[in-house]
Amino acid sequence: GNGETTKKRKSRWADEEPKPIIQLPDFMKDFAQGIDSDPEIQLLNARLLEISKILQAGVQLDDRPEGARSPSPEPVYDNLGIRINTREFRARERLNKERQEIIAQIIKRNPAFKPPADYRPPKLNK
Amino acid sequence: QRLMLQQPPQPIGIASKVLCLTQVVTEDELKDDDDYDDILADMKTECGKFGDLVNVVIPRPNSNGEVSAGVGKVFLEYVDTESASKARTGLHGRKFGGNQVVAVFYEEDKYHQKDYED
Repeated sequence: GNGETTKKRKSRWADEEPKPIIQLPDFMKDFAQGIDSDPEIQLLNARLLEISKILQAGVQLDDRPEGARSPSPEPVYDNLGIRINTREFRARERLNKERQEIIAQIIKRNPAFKPPADYRPPKLNK
Repeated sequence: QRLMLQQPPQPIGIASKVLCLTQVVTEDELKDDDDYDDILADMKTECGKFGDLVNVVIPRPNSNGEVSAGVGKVFLEYVDTESASKARTGLHGRKFGGNQVVAVFYEEDKYHQKDYED
């Protein structure tokens, strides 16, 4: 129908309302924090902290003599001829990977968790 | 030596003049001419508040019952990216007919090629 009607129609748009800030009463706060006291999350958080410390302080490398360690992979070089996959680098990569996995797990359990700024969610494959 | 870091993730929608509202309208509403006209009018009024609209495209289902691309979405073409950007902020999360609107930028090229798939 072409607007011959005089009756004013209500827009489907809901009124713009300021998003209410939900203030939880005190007795609810403990409940809301309950997720942080989940022992599994605590464990994950502890490991996360540990990894962050190691990464910051520098990775401790396995100090056994070369023969006693598991064999190193073939060296990989970048286009300047600098070796990329050094022991230090591989150890860091390992920790970084674990770190990302832990963060992903925490998010899964607690969607409200704020991941660190450098966290990249795992790529979803189409 | 500086190692290659992981590539940054793809940003969710690159700013453009075209805004796409998803989860807005249902196929049934679009089949009805009156409803469609109402929806179009509502969009023009409300979305025009953020800046000048060049066009509003609301893909409708085909009469032959085929599922056509983009049904359920609303495309808003603004005169400039700034208006589209304002609209994105203003419309995202608002309710339209009870549905919570998701507003994302849409590639202008695709929009002009009438490719409403994404």
